[in-house]
Amino acid sequence: MLEVDLHPKNTPVNPPDNNLVRLREVVKTYHGSAGTFTALKGVDLSVESGAFVSIIGKSGSGKSTLINVITGIDRPSSGEVIVDHTPVHTLNEEQIAIWRGRSVGVIFQFFQLLPTLTAVENILLAMDYGRHYPRLERPERAMQLLELVGMAEYAHRLPGSLSGGQQQCVAIARALANDPVLLTADEPTGNLDSKSTEMVFQLFENLAGTGKAILMVTHDNELAVRAQRTIRLVDGRIQDEFVNR
Amino acid sequence: MLRARWYKVINDLFGNKTRTLLIVLSMSVGLFALGIILSARTILSDGLAESFATIYPSSGTVRTIELFDEDFIESVRKMDDVQEADARRSISVRMQTKSGEWKNLTIFVFADYEDIRVNKVTLQSGAWPPPEHEILIERAALSVIEAQVGDMILIRFPSDVERRIRIAGLAYDPAQLPAQIDGTPYGYITFDTLEWFGESYGFNELHVIANHPEDKDWAQQVVNRVKDKAENSGYTIPLSMTAEPGQLPMNDVLQGILLLMGLLGVLSLFLSIFLVVNTVSALLTQQKRQIGVMKAVGGGTLQILGMYLVMVFSYGVMALMIAIPFGMYGARKLSSVLAVFFNFDLYSMDVPPQTYLIQAAVGLILPVLASLVPFLSNLRISAAEAMSSYTMGKGRFGKNWIDHFLSGANLWFVRKLSIRSILLSVRNTFRNKGRLTLTLITLTLGSATFISVFNVRASLSSTVEDMIKWFNCDTMFALDRSYRADKVQSEAESIPGVTKTDVWIQLPTRLVRRDESESGMIYMFAPTVRPDSLIVSPSLAEGRWLAPGDENAVVVPSALLIDEPELELGGDIVLKIDGDEHVFKIVGTFKGMAFLPIVYVNYDYITKITNRTGEADAVMIATQQHDSVYVDAVTRTLEERFNLVGIEIGLATTINTERRDAEASFDAIVALLLLMAILLALVGGLGLMGTMSINVLERTREIGVLRAIGAPNRSVASVFVLEGIIIGLMSWAMGAAVAIPMSRGLNQALGQAVMGVPLTYSYSLPGLWLWLVIVILLSILASFIPARTASRLTVREVLAYE
Repeated sequence: MLEVDLHPKNTPVNPPDNNLVRLREVVKTYHGSAGTFTALKGVDLSVESGAFVSIIGKSGSGKSTLINVITGIDRPSSGEVIVDHTPVHTLNEEQIAIWRGRSVGVIFQFFQLLPTLTAVENILLAMDYGRHYPRLERPERAMQLLELVGMAEYAHRLPGSLSGGQQQCVAIARALANDPVLLTADEPTGNLDSKSTEMVFQLFENLAGTGKAILMVTHDNELAVRAQRTIRLVDGRIQDEFVNR
Repeated sequence: MLRARWYKVINDLFGNKTRTLLIVLSMSVGLFALGIILSARTILSDGLAESFATIYPSSGTVRTIELFDEDFIESVRKMDDVQEADARRSISVRMQTKSGEWKNLTIFVFADYEDIRVNKVTLQSGAWPPPEHEILIERAALSVIEAQVGDMILIRFPSDVERRIRIAGLAYDPAQLPAQIDGTPYGYITFDTLEWFGESYGFNELHVIANHPEDKDWAQQVVNRVKDKAENSGYTIPLSMTAEPGQLPMNDVLQGILLLMGLLGVLSLFLSIFLVVNTVSALLTQQKRQIGVMKAVGGGTLQILGMYLVMVFSYGVMALMIAIPFGMYGARKLSSVLAVFFNFDLYSMDVPPQTYLIQAAVGLILPVLASLVPFLSNLRISAAEAMSSYTMGKGRFGKNWIDHFLSGANLWFVRKLSIRSILLSVRNTFRNKGRLTLTLITLTLGSATFISVFNVRASLSSTVEDMIKWFNCDTMFALDRSYRADKVQSEAESIPGVTKTDVWIQLPTRLVRRDESESGMIYMFAPTVRPDSLIVSPSLAEGRWLAPGDENAVVVPSALLIDEPELELGGDIVLKIDGDEHVFKIVGTFKGMAFLPIVYVNYDYITKITNRTGEADAVMIATQQHDSVYVDAVTRTLEERFNLVGIEIGLATTINTERRDAEASFDAIVALLLLMAILLALVGGLGLMGTMSINVLERTREIGVLRAIGAPNRSVASVFVLEGIIIGLMSWAMGAAVAIPMSRGLNQALGQAVMGVPLTYSYSLPGLWLWLVIVILLSILASFIPARTASRLTVREVLAYE
């Protein structure tokens, strides 16, 4: 495997407490025709740089909502979300999109590769939006990322011709496109067979060693314990938090 | 109590208001176009017939050189075959406009304005009958003479008597060609006023109604009998003509317009159907999962089919509620504009019920039929299949050669370029090929029609140019009577700026058929035919032009061969000149208006057989420079010179004026075509907007992903706007190609209706480029609205979208 520079070019000076992600009293309430539902009930959370954190809990416990407020995909009803010095909760949608493209790599359960772009083009598109790397360097880096996830030979294939595991590997490479400080993954192996799951998880473990913080939502307790730290959510609150190794 | 499934239909109809509005608007624009065309066609056809009937139209006109009085009119009225007869004095004079330009003006004088029995003229505004020493102007002529009611105008009679005369009001005379079309304004005065100009009392134009006016052949025989009677009474007849029963002078052009409207009506019908199929297919794609759920809970195919057909039917009802009243309003406005242009009154704006029925059938039945195909194909899939799709977007990419051609492996050369978002748009365009095809058909038809309209406009100009270019001169004078050709030419050539002159003679003739019956009057023009002649060949349809040595050769309008089936190119034609029959050989046909029959023969031959050697009825003059200012100045000097030496001028015109007038006569057709093209473009634009909206809906999840990987609003919107532009550009290119046969078809239809031959084909590049700009703007607009909606969605909303 090639050596890829996964360290941010402009590594921010971490706050004294070394926390990359910091949530304070985050509440998220949904108002719908069926009534009001509070998914997060005053969550406080800190994640330091380079940490590999798994989030577990039952369906409806608030796992996905928690990860969504951290990435700016969803907004907290109250409380503060600060990621890499940026008060995400104060940004508007446009600012969040640009910030996210440069600072966070998002990995979805269903891969969500754009079906009309090839594997390498999916990565390049994220680079085009992020503008973190000079234009001429982007193709080479995209290929390096594909090599990192073992997908270089499929670079010019459309997602429709790849297996689920292969698509998820490409999606991880895309998440790394702009060298983000934080990777989030919502059930990244939920739609994969065991072999692919292992392949993807191996990737996360390798990435965790490069100094990036990884937040992963999962149903699978066996996988969860392979992270450095596990957070259990129950009814919108952090019930347990334990260090695995 | 409604069954539950109908609640779903109602909720689907009114729950998603934007989608309903879009579908209903798409359908109603097509139905509106159809309604406006069908209704306007009926209003105009009926109005034309009704309006013309009220003026007691003549079956024919006989003009005399010598003046006749009431006794002769009475004797004609007493003829067995004549239902009614009336007479007027007709004089061609010159008038000076505000800008100082001299124009031709035809003045009519009636003995009793309260008792006009044929080709009635009525008062539009002002005093009636025209007060002494004042004039009424035909209502369509004010713009041509650049004057207003109350203005004083200077009129010069052929006798050189000039008088300033006040315009007392407006008259309505639908039997004449509208002034804005043929360039000749009409005025009406009394015999007292005529006397003031130094002219004597008497008539020179007889209008008769045959006792069976609806039979054109019979009417022609009656007119010929009246002409014979006049000749037997000692009058010289320079002109006699028979009118088409029940038709206005510009009927051919109006029929051409109505025909085009019919063609465009059919086209808009097709567009409506494509729009309906497109929107319904898109609707079903959206509802695929719901169809799966309904099937899973036991919904039968027929039950589900019934629900969606009722839904489509409801869209049709809503579209009709918009299209019928707006179509009616538009049709009335359009009819009014055309009626003003063709100078006739509309007495009724009623539209027959079948027009509504056609609209209703198109709006209700066709959408249901058109949507059956996509319905049935969607309903065939299993419940599991319908509910299974969890991947992003709909539409498969990568399955055929187009996709492979556009995919990454082939586009190695763009890998280094930062154009991923452009590639995304390009490939997205081809994702749902069925929808793309339908959208392209709609937009391409709109594009082709728009470009074709400009091609028809260019073809009309080319045709006019063809018709005019055979006069290789700058100005022409029709003389009031025959003069020695050498005198006229030497006087003209004495004027500075005149480089060359030429003459012709003209005389009335009639075609004698094999059964001894005679046609109406045909103008015979006999130009000098030499290599250096100022008259070159007119735009020939078939055969050849006259040659210097020709004796009895004749060139006839192509329309004459259609009207007179026994005539053929290369065959003989018997023409009656001054009472004697002469056999001519048809050597060629030219593109000419059906309502103005002119034949061309050799000057030397005709002057020899009519003993008029060395005479001239008209003179053509070439000038040093050809711009309007120079030619007008030389023409004025020539007029003054001719007046000074006693050469009386009947009509003076310049080629520039003729060209302008001829082109202006087609303006109504072009304006109408343009209106229709804009309407079709609107339909196409709405179709594109519908497609883009559905694309946005289908790719909502992808939009979320784009936002998740850092795409700002502008980038998300640009993906869809660019896709819209690509579709627009494709439709432009295809429309440009389709416009070639379409323009030929329109040229054929319009040319046949107006002139008996297709228009001279011309492809308008300005039209092509103009449409390119419009289609890009239209595409941006059509895709911007859905794209903006897409870019405003929050990531959570779109990722949660089903």
